[in-house]
Amino acid sequence: MQREILWTGIGGQGVQLGTELLAHAALAEGRHAMFFGSYGGMMRGGNSETTLVLGDAPVESPPTVGSAWSALVLHPAHAAGPLARLRPDGVLVLNTTLCVAASDHPGPVVRIPATEIAAAAGSTNAVTMVALGAYAAATAVVRLDTLDAVLPDVLPPYRHRHLAVNRAALRAGHAAALPLVDAWAVEHTPEEAPV
Amino acid sequence: MTATAHAGARIMPGSAAIAEAMIAAGCRFFAGYPMTPFTEVLETMAARLPDVGGVCVNAESELEAVGMAWGAAATGTPAATGSTGQGLSLMQESLAEIVYSRLPLVVLNMARAQGDYFQATRGGGHGDYRHLVLAPCGVPEAAELTQLAFHLAEKWRAPVLVMGDYYLAHTHQSVSVTPLDFGPLPPRDWALDGSTGGTGAAKLVSPLSDAKQRHAAGRADAGYDLAEFYHRHVAAMERMVTDEPPRHEAGFTDDAELVVIAYGTPGGYVRQAVRELRAEGRRIGWLRPITLVPFPSDVVAEAARRAGSVAVYENNQGQMLDDVRLAVLGSADVRFIGGLSLDPSGFGIAPDLDVALLKRRIADLHDAVTGRRRGPEPEPPHREHPRSRP
Repeated sequence: MQREILWTGIGGQGVQLGTELLAHAALAEGRHAMFFGSYGGMMRGGNSETTLVLGDAPVESPPTVGSAWSALVLHPAHAAGPLARLRPDGVLVLNTTLCVAASDHPGPVVRIPATEIAAAAGSTNAVTMVALGAYAAATAVVRLDTLDAVLPDVLPPYRHRHLAVNRAALRAGHAAALPLVDAWAVEHTPEEAPV
Repeated sequence: MTATAHAGARIMPGSAAIAEAMIAAGCRFFAGYPMTPFTEVLETMAARLPDVGGVCVNAESELEAVGMAWGAAATGTPAATGSTGQGLSLMQESLAEIVYSRLPLVVLNMARAQGDYFQATRGGGHGDYRHLVLAPCGVPEAAELTQLAFHLAEKWRAPVLVMGDYYLAHTHQSVSVTPLDFGPLPPRDWALDGSTGGTGAAKLVSPLSDAKQRHAAGRADAGYDLAEFYHRHVAAMERMVTDEPPRHEAGFTDDAELVVIAYGTPGGYVRQAVRELRAEGRRIGWLRPITLVPFPSDVVAEAARRAGSVAVYENNQGQMLDDVRLAVLGSADVRFIGGLSLDPSGFGIAPDLDVALLKRRIADLHDAVTGRRRGPEPEPPHREHPRSRP
């Protein structure tokens, strides 16, 4: 079974870090992970996106995928491409602080004011942690305590003074979303997916 | 193979896996100038080489980087350099001279798209030179082939080029990098170590050989015969490209009506597309050259002869296509289904690298070459390309 996650935002929001954290957490829970990050020369404000594939078995798919089980949108600026690849029944996590337009996604949508919640948790820079916490709560793709446990491995040593705020943001995001689906419970394929 | 992808191994980007593989292979000198996606390799080498007693230099340009690596290689230190294709352009003169100097050196091209096939396999430098070229697909294979590159460079006393790209550098995968043993190597008796070369003067490693020095030292038997030197040199290169076995990976070629050929990252997309088309009952095969020099001409020719039709996918305007045609020599229909595909970043991220899109393109061609039309409405044909006719 494979679960594809597309993650899109702008440079500075933590898309790459959030993806790395989710991949490490999945690995810690015995799954396999592969992800591709594209950001290039845009540390702040430019397009930043990732494609993450988690699986029960070694991931053999190419680095990018044509259709995905879920997507996290932190900022609307570059979301069109990833959203076009989200399956109709896929799970969408939307940062409603910045994505104010109505979504026409037919599948389940987790609407969460992630930037606001991050600010309340201590820093808007932790927006990716809020979104990841909410995504984990909605999909059970990984456990919150695993994310918490592997965070120090993923956060570079010179950022460890921000561990507390990142953990607070993860918990706040997790508390803000309800369980929607169980990522690893049922095999979903595009053909058999409910419309 | 001990460079494997499995849970429990460290998850790291391809750029770091390549750097770790270089260190595992014994590389102790690295020089380069930042340029995405080569920068990520340089950063890892800068962080890791001092741990193992090595030296990494962020040179002032690619010209200096290759010069520094050349100097380090001449002392017998396993050395490497690299860049993207643009930086490799600046290094071509030195690369040609290093081949003539008969020095082992690993050169990375962390390319943007696949426009550097001709640069890698034909070279932009002067003179009659060749070097081996390896084109990995995926992080575990890149970690293995990078180590192999150091072995082959020493074995043949020649530079070896490893072709990567943005996808390889930025794909994070669980991989364990441990030193691989590819067998014994000849002694580094050519290395400059301050001792004499038996002439009374210091040893010399030069693109002009040591003939001039031996001549100056009064060694009548040595003479000053550059023609003799160049003949010896090209003979060594010939041995290298004929004796070193070509490498490839292939699937479903036995009964295929069409074989799709692609190298590097796109080779992985083509492999996936063909596997899915096979599952749909289409008799299509795939073939991925792993060594671009020497090109696996024999297996390409045999697969083409069996299938009768060959498609080439590259993210460029058709370069490996020439090597496929040279291998096939008219015995099969060769079509080009690639073409330059870039997103706005310019880093070589290709909208065309999409399994569903490639499946449609390959299925259309399969229908055309087998004279069939499947389904109620044929998909639109892949875009016409000036080189799409054999």
